[in-house]
Amino acid sequence: MTTALFEARGVTKRFGGLTALHQVDFVLDRGIASIIGPNGAGKTTLFNIFTGLYAADEGGVAFQGRPLLGLRPDQITALGVCRTFQNIRLFANMTALENVLVGMHARIGLRVWDVLARAPRFRQTEAALQARAVALLERVGLRGDPNAVARNLPYGDQRRLEIARALAAGPALLLLDEPTAGMTQGEAGELMGLLRALVADLGLALILIEHNMRVVMEVSDRVTVLDHGEKIAEGPPREVQADPRVIEAYLGAAARQRRPRAAR
Amino acid sequence: MTRAALAIGLIAVSAWAVATFPRSILVFLLFQGSLLHAYLAPIPRWLRVALLAAALLVLMPVIGAYNGYYLEVATQVGIFVALALGLNIVVGLAGLLDLGYVAFFAVGAYSWAIFGSPHANLIFGGGFPLAAGWFWAFLVVGLLVAAGAGVLLGLPVLRLRGDYLAIVTLGFGEVIRVLANNLDKPINITNGPKGITPISRPPVPFDVSYAEAFYFLVLAIVGVVILVNRRLEDSHVGRAWEAIREDELAAQAMGVPLVRSKLLAFACGASFAGVMGVVFSAKQVFINPESFTFLESIGVLAMVILGGMGSIPGAVVGATVVTVLNLQVLKGLSLWLNELKNAGVTVFGLSLADLPTQLEPAKYERMIFGMILVLMMIFRPQGIFPVRRRARELAGKS
Amino acid sequence: MDLPLLIGIFPQVLLDGLILGFMYALIALGYTMVYGVLEFINFAHSEIFIVGAFVGVEILLGLKGAGWLESLPWPLVLLLLLVAAMAVSGLLAAAVERVAYRPLRSAPRLIPLISAIGVSFFLQDLIRLVESVWRNAFNLVYPTLDGLNHRFELTETLDVSVKSLVVIVAALAMLWVLHMLVNRTKIGTAVRAVAEDQAAASLVGIDVNRIISLTFLIGGAMGGAAGVLFGVQYGLINPYSGFIPGLKAFTAAVLGGIGNIPGAMVGGIVLGLLEAFAASYLGLLTGGAFGAEYKDIFAFSVLILILVFRPKGLLGEIVRERA
Repeated sequence: MTTALFEARGVTKRFGGLTALHQVDFVLDRGIASIIGPNGAGKTTLFNIFTGLYAADEGGVAFQGRPLLGLRPDQITALGVCRTFQNIRLFANMTALENVLVGMHARIGLRVWDVLARAPRFRQTEAALQARAVALLERVGLRGDPNAVARNLPYGDQRRLEIARALAAGPALLLLDEPTAGMTQGEAGELMGLLRALVADLGLALILIEHNMRVVMEVSDRVTVLDHGEKIAEGPPREVQADPRVIEAYLGAAARQRRPRAAR
Repeated sequence: MTRAALAIGLIAVSAWAVATFPRSILVFLLFQGSLLHAYLAPIPRWLRVALLAAALLVLMPVIGAYNGYYLEVATQVGIFVALALGLNIVVGLAGLLDLGYVAFFAVGAYSWAIFGSPHANLIFGGGFPLAAGWFWAFLVVGLLVAAGAGVLLGLPVLRLRGDYLAIVTLGFGEVIRVLANNLDKPINITNGPKGITPISRPPVPFDVSYAEAFYFLVLAIVGVVILVNRRLEDSHVGRAWEAIREDELAAQAMGVPLVRSKLLAFACGASFAGVMGVVFSAKQVFINPESFTFLESIGVLAMVILGGMGSIPGAVVGATVVTVLNLQVLKGLSLWLNELKNAGVTVFGLSLADLPTQLEPAKYERMIFGMILVLMMIFRPQGIFPVRRRARELAGKS
Repeated sequence: MDLPLLIGIFPQVLLDGLILGFMYALIALGYTMVYGVLEFINFAHSEIFIVGAFVGVEILLGLKGAGWLESLPWPLVLLLLLVAAMAVSGLLAAAVERVAYRPLRSAPRLIPLISAIGVSFFLQDLIRLVESVWRNAFNLVYPTLDGLNHRFELTETLDVSVKSLVVIVAALAMLWVLHMLVNRTKIGTAVRAVAEDQAAASLVGIDVNRIISLTFLIGGAMGGAAGVLFGVQYGLINPYSGFIPGLKAFTAAVLGGIGNIPGAMVGGIVLGLLEAFAASYLGLLTGGAFGAEYKDIFAFSVLILILVFRPKGLLGEIVRERA
């Protein structure tokens, strides 16, 4: 048996008395997996555990067979797992290009000495980084000026820039937290095309958290449904869509929308 | 063309004016203004460099020959420019509010003061002061000791949230000052409030005066500091610092190791202060803990804020303005007021001689620093010379 | 080592530590209330505190100049000082918030902190300017109130002055009033609501700006009262003498868990005791190698250690991390 690219077993996370995640298993080898679920189901918490922002109370996460437990977020990124954020977290006062360059930080082999001496090695590396950054921005389809300050970019460009920044870290696994949030259906479709191309061209594995069901059904190879911190269904999109427990979780949540929710 | 002529003309006229009226503060301010104008004016780069080099390398020492005080002011400005540039890395680039920055200056200053004076005999028995030539080695020692102190302080505290970090560094600065004040027993390390003197000066080549030698030394160090600053800023190191300042969590998620990057920022900032500390102690010949108070830390902070956090020209201009305000304008006002008092001038029927003796403009540094900090935060948080984002040449794009 | 001496001075040191501790507790309230509501270190609070001391000394000097000081009963004078100082310091704190902090409320958190440091420095020299024009003085001495200086000799090595008792009683009374105000009144509920969640508080009809002003007013008034007690107890003040007690009171607030009102009191007393014992015993225990002059280092080291190892303080905090 070969080890999966990414594997999480029995992940449990409590905040005080609240159990945000309970015994969640998640395995991904290739392609695009989506995690869906009502608000407060624990999706982002799961991402935070995958990327080392939170420590799981129980269970473990492994990437390419290597346990991620106890590693810092930057170390996990260096191993090849990178992410975007639900509420875009760009470096607002830096240019688009600089944002992408920061994403490459873990892959830069220069020492402080090289920087201070401005060795030829430094110049070559910087030039190469910059060329790669420009290529990445083109790849994600940034429409605005790469030298524009990030906070001045239009919303769609900010989402794209965040993906470019995460790609800059050279990940084998990319975690996208609601990448199409706030986008029109047209923009979302375009983005899905990009994600599919990334998987096809770079062999990237993707995990999406997504609310846009059309997107989820269209691009996902597999869908995982979380509700109240537990995995209630998993499988190909069509099957999951028809699962009565999933319907109950969504419709139930819709029907009891005004119910005060503990798990926030 | 006209702008170039204007820039040259301004520098020439103000330099001539300084030489002609060697006691006027106003004309010296005019000279400084002409340098700033040359820096900002839309003139060719080679001309700008040539003008500034000529002004700093030739005109300033000549002015100093007419009035030594101006050279002293220029040297002081240089020292504070280096300090401001060091703090600029920590506060401006990495976004870590360090309120005890002057402690690193103190560490550098005391390292040469102790070994470059007979004082070390009290600790080690004999053989001190070290030969004056050791001064050069101590520039490196001061750098390393201060950087080490930066790392030692940084290791436990850099995980703290921004405002807690500020208070801890403030506490650290106070601890260093109180130690300097009290470590005259059980072993006399700092000689307490009495301070250490005489501290050796470096050997001076040719027949340059000490004042000129220190001016050039400080100028050279400032040059190196600016170079180092620019290279760091324009590299992955500087980008990592700025990313941490913008969003620590996102920076970490993008692969920036937080503690290592912050430690590097602390150590870099501290090392500049350490080097300048060594120079300062030699220049002053005498140091005591009074030079390393919280007030000084805030003064340097005010320079960085005034110029613009993260901006190198900002730090230079901020340091110049604040130092000149303190050394010249406030002291000048004090002198002027005293002259008016002694002359028995009356204003609106009030004899100035009746003004309270406690009223001395020179002592109101805190008011100046305070006003700078508050007004800048409210009206212009980006400073007077905000960072200009570098637009990069994009390959393959017009 | 002189054991009987060490034991003999113990009660006096304890008492001194308590007085100091209550002083810190009163000042710490200003830091902790503001932090609890805004997650903001009001660096200028040390000057708000010392302004109270200056109001007190000005009134005393005024009364003395008019020749009324001897004829008025000392409790009345003290009450007058406290009320005036609380009013001035409270209003000053609220005004500072309005001018220098409110415009920066949505800015990154270091921005208002830098502004607060600026206000602190500005106020120091503003007081200096006023005092040098008005009295041509830098240091001011509190005129003595005879009734306050009466001392009770409890034992051979322990005596208590009336003013020490007054400090403790006044501090306790004010802490009690504050406790009632925050926990038993509508205003207190509103303050706690704003501390919990500003947006939600404004949704239920609380005027958030007013409550924040009020928080500064109350914290400032406590600081002003502490200023008067400080002046009465220690006698000598200058425009810069608020800084170190302010920093220590902040330490006390952190020690007790910043944002936590009872915590400020506990932290103040713990720090006061620690400092008093350090000041008295360090020299005796180390044979004079390290003396009372290290008491400041002691307090700052406590500050650094607490922030590094237990930033939530001894009693925990009510502050949430802003993502």
